[in-house]
Amino acid sequence: MRSIRRDTLVALGLLLICGTFFAASFDIRETSYASLGSEVWPRVILAVLFVLSLALLAQSLRVKDAPAQAEHAGLGAWFAAYRNPLWCYLLFGLYLLTLPYLGMLAGGALFVFATLTAIGRRDLRALAINAVIGIGMVGFMWTVFRYGLNVILPEGELFYGW
Amino acid sequence: MIFDNILAASGAIFEIGTIALMFLGVTAGLIAGAIPGFTIAMAVVLTLPFTFGMTAVQGVATMIGVLVGGLSGGLMAGMLTGIPGTPSSVATTFDGFPMARKGRPGLALGLGVWSSFFGGIIGAIVLVTLAPQLARVGLEFGPWDYFALVMFALTITASLAGDNLLKGLIAGALGLLAATIGEDEVNGVARFTFGADAFEQGFAFLPVLVGLFAFSQLLSDVKDRDKALEPLMARGTKAVRVEHRRAIVEVLKRWTTLLRSALIGVFTGILPGAGSSVSNILAYDQAKKASKTPEDFGSGIPDGIVAPESSNNATEGGALIMLMALGIPGDVITAVMLGALLIHDVIPSPSFISDEPVLAYSIFIAFFLAHFIMVTMQAVCLRAFVLITRVPMYVLAAIILAYCAIGVFALNNVEFDLWTLFIFGVIGYLLRSLGFPLAPMILGVVLGNIAELNLNRAWSIEPSLTPFLTRPWSLLFFTFALFSAAFPWYQKHRREMKWTLVYLPLFCIAVSGPLALMDGWVRPVLGAGLLVFGTVTLVRRARAGWRIERPPAPPSRSEET
Repeated sequence: MRSIRRDTLVALGLLLICGTFFAASFDIRETSYASLGSEVWPRVILAVLFVLSLALLAQSLRVKDAPAQAEHAGLGAWFAAYRNPLWCYLLFGLYLLTLPYLGMLAGGALFVFATLTAIGRRDLRALAINAVIGIGMVGFMWTVFRYGLNVILPEGELFYGW
Repeated sequence: MIFDNILAASGAIFEIGTIALMFLGVTAGLIAGAIPGFTIAMAVVLTLPFTFGMTAVQGVATMIGVLVGGLSGGLMAGMLTGIPGTPSSVATTFDGFPMARKGRPGLALGLGVWSSFFGGIIGAIVLVTLAPQLARVGLEFGPWDYFALVMFALTITASLAGDNLLKGLIAGALGLLAATIGEDEVNGVARFTFGADAFEQGFAFLPVLVGLFAFSQLLSDVKDRDKALEPLMARGTKAVRVEHRRAIVEVLKRWTTLLRSALIGVFTGILPGAGSSVSNILAYDQAKKASKTPEDFGSGIPDGIVAPESSNNATEGGALIMLMALGIPGDVITAVMLGALLIHDVIPSPSFISDEPVLAYSIFIAFFLAHFIMVTMQAVCLRAFVLITRVPMYVLAAIILAYCAIGVFALNNVEFDLWTLFIFGVIGYLLRSLGFPLAPMILGVVLGNIAELNLNRAWSIEPSLTPFLTRPWSLLFFTFALFSAAFPWYQKHRREMKWTLVYLPLFCIAVSGPLALMDGWVRPVLGAGLLVFGTVTLVRRARAGWRIERPPAPPSRSEET
């Protein structure tokens, strides 16, 4: 079976985005005072994006099949190839989710420690170094922003009143 | 009046606090520019959060420091390791690295530093001279013309961003679309909120930029697991003593190469979308073509360093001209600068220099001053660069990701900005991995509101599309947009397909029309000249039977023997 090319999927995804946004453009409130409605400019962009996406689809279908590539190596290989970025996204997502509880200082230090451990070295010495880097660097940045630039950073519910 | 403004701006810039910030900015730029994988735009984006607490003058001066430092920092890595620190110093590596390997690293660095300095000063002189003049031309622009200029900026960025114009245009359209999410600036109506209250205010500019540029770049840098664990450079990298005196003499001896390359840089910078990553290669290529010994290029000759380094620093002078005179960023870096100015409630436009003279002259002075600071700090940063290169990429990435979060939160103290950072970090990484250039998307996000605002103004004045095609400036920019969109195909098929013979003459003829419609006599005369040139070239090529002149083929083996 002929596999679907990457750009074909991208073009189909873009067409889906166009459709979703176009449908959502009908939810934009109409105003009596506007010379040009708020929905006009987004629809112009969507029309252009739609045409460009169709062109990308046509281009992707026109390109001849490349010889069998390692792309078909499976989901496991894909996860292995993108392991580091996936770890970073996962840990950053967790950092954001726990931010209201842990705050930016403790949460940030934990995030740096966890990221260094996940994508870097993991022996005992490295773990100690990761902890020092996490606490030291985030502590330094937190101090600069909190006391140098007077920015109120989230303290975290767990640390209120400390 | 001008003298008063210069005095007031000097007073603001030569304050101890501002000077200290500029020193810090240049140092940070030099180090960031020297680290392969970091771009200047990323360094400038990451500086933005620090500028919130500063005055507009201090904030912009600091960012100019980072910008100038970044432009000059790239040469350190390129010369000492053969890996360019930034795309702006790719061509510097062609001769800088061989010269360093031949045992002259001090001279190679000196040539780079002083070429950057002189190129930057030439760029600054052109900036000071040309920006007010161009701003006067900008006063002729109506909303139709601004809208057309934005379209031109987007198409040329897409066409210069890479091989795939289509993906560049799609990225630009996605940027424009992202800018429409949230409250419409003109009518105050919420758009594309999908029921989520958080989307009503739209996406803040900084989290989008940091997400698209810095976040996605860092994750691209650590994608390779083994490389992420290695130090950035080999342990053998050492700081060397820069041969300043010898380098100054050598650079000034090559004043024609210096001047030509700096001017190439300035005019590349003026073109919306084309930045120093284009100009350094263009200047190197021109220096090679103009040389009596082009075969020596690549072996470690001074001209091969002077050309790219003087052009990349001069480019930002050109990009700043566009930003200050018309309010349109010349490249991604000035797009970030525009963001910085907007944060301080300063909106660049043709009246910017007359409305905000102190800030405008501060930018001029800061651009000059940053080059002097850069020369002073280069030797210090060389040692810091050697130290930083011993740190593995994954450590830098984790620390900078945490910094991105703190910096983005500091903008509005809103947690949603962190989610914006995360979402655009994912989008940026996806687009990058799928071969989409990010520069058009960033310009789309930055210019989206400007385009819509001007479209609305134009429509309020006259609800018709006709003025877009009858007003000379608007027609000129749309013509530029059309031809810049076709440029990648022209470049790809030049000397291969017959239709490419029509491209240049047709461009001259098409541009002559709007020029002829403009006021005064200079532009109509220029238009007439272009019309004559285009027609004569077209007729000549038709008479020659549309023959394609191919470059002479390299001698075959049999001929050589």
